[in-house]
Amino acid sequence: MSEVRITFVDCRGTEKVIEDAPVGDTMMQIATANGVDGILGECGGGCACGTCHIYIDPEWQHVVGAPDDVEDMTLDMVFETRKPNSRLCCQITVSEKMDGLRVVVAPESL
Amino acid sequence: MTTIEKNSVASGCPFSMGETPLSQMSLTDPLIQARPHAFYSKLRNEDPVHYDEKLGMWLVSRYDDIVTLLRDPQTFSDKQGYEAQYASGFFQEFKQILEEQGGGFFPDVIKSDPPEHTRIRKLMDGAFSAHRVKMLEPVITRIIADLAENMADKGAGGKVIDGVKEFAIPLTIAVICEQLGMNRYDGNKISEWSAAITAQIGRMQNREQMVENALKVCELQKFIIEQMKDRQAQPKEDMISDLVHSHTEDGSSLTFGEAVSLVRALIIAGNDTTATAIANLLFILATQPGVAQQLHDNVDDERYLTRFVEELLRYAPPVRGLAKMTTRETELGGTKLPKGAHMLVLYGSGNDDESHFDCPRNFDIARGNTGTHVAFGVGIHRCIGASLARMEIRVAAKELIKRVRNIRLAIPAEEVIYQRTVATHSISSLPITLEQR
Repeated sequence: MSEVRITFVDCRGTEKVIEDAPVGDTMMQIATANGVDGILGECGGGCACGTCHIYIDPEWQHVVGAPDDVEDMTLDMVFETRKPNSRLCCQITVSEKMDGLRVVVAPESL
Repeated sequence: MTTIEKNSVASGCPFSMGETPLSQMSLTDPLIQARPHAFYSKLRNEDPVHYDEKLGMWLVSRYDDIVTLLRDPQTFSDKQGYEAQYASGFFQEFKQILEEQGGGFFPDVIKSDPPEHTRIRKLMDGAFSAHRVKMLEPVITRIIADLAENMADKGAGGKVIDGVKEFAIPLTIAVICEQLGMNRYDGNKISEWSAAITAQIGRMQNREQMVENALKVCELQKFIIEQMKDRQAQPKEDMISDLVHSHTEDGSSLTFGEAVSLVRALIIAGNDTTATAIANLLFILATQPGVAQQLHDNVDDERYLTRFVEELLRYAPPVRGLAKMTTRETELGGTKLPKGAHMLVLYGSGNDDESHFDCPRNFDIARGNTGTHVAFGVGIHRCIGASLARMEIRVAAKELIKRVRNIRLAIPAEEVIYQRTVATHSISSLPITLEQR
């Protein structure tokens, strides 16, 4: 399987189901390519800006994993909207295990 | 009341400024440039998208309008705004000097609009990722620790030292040279070259200064071309080599002119701006002892340091205003703008907007939305070197506060001199005293 199904719920609650998310792309690339509202990826995936902030559905957290220390620090810059299940989606590379993943886009900090 | 506010009152703000009509004020006034907060506040409250007649530009002062504008690069062109600002009034002559004596005139490719900007930006993004910057931290920490040590020695016995000259400038130049693989360099030259480039968007140079600056830019370009030729012959593990040998996503190479402009941007862009942030750090530590004490108490808490750096950038953003130009008739913040309106985006005012940041003149690391400041810009032109700048400031704050205490201004705060420019809000020199811990 080289494509998986990923659901983004944008900040207005609208669900966007992407049926053909390519394995190996980052979630940020997939979201921007599909025009998911609220995912900007302004630093181009460098883990430097916090504009691709999402919440992972709790049942998926063990699959997606936790942020590393660099991402943790960048997430701390958006601490007003940060939650225990926060991730920057530019740091998540889609794998086959993520087929069916559902994430919620964090409210825009700006 | 903080020292800064006292400072404003002492210089006649905000009270006397309240009585002067906006139409009689201009950002070209060096006094307003040096102490701009009362002016910013007046703009936001009375005319948030205000035409500054003397400057010939529309000043965008409210946080929300700034973000709206920056998120719409098709309507507000970075390229056109920059070109109209560059060497303003003397552009043809400036260009000619560079063509004749500086190896060519190479427009800044980063100051472009999509799709051209997208092509260049993608090429550069990887080099500045937060993870790449993290790898540089040990080397940069050693550089900064030595400089902090050095400054503490120079200031021994209560001797007055210039924090800009002894710490802020050498620090950023050493980091840039490390990144670009320039082992032998003349720090004073690089500092002069930076000033000569940034003067081109500052709007304050006269013809004589323009010629002087153009000749310095010629020198800089000759230096860059020499460095590039060196890497062409012998590739090294540094960013100049990366650029000289890089390919964009579509498989094409950068043109020679594009590569020169990018190396030039790398040398200059993070130099003056980061040095300004470090000088602002010293200013705050010197004028707000409570902040200095709190920093010392939390020096090993990385999370605290992250928030400290963000609040410093919010409170005192180095970049004050960059130019854009409308590509069509439009409206911003209720103001109608014609096509070709030359805009100055006042990041300094956005970070000071009370409708977005409570009590913006308080240095408060506990505020919830510090990270939403616009010091690095917003949108496609968001500062590519933000992670590097943040790391430099964090390490500087940490290494400095571990070594020195009782940093104090050696002159009254209201006598601190700022550079004359609309582009940045930069302290020129900062006489301080300090004690070794």
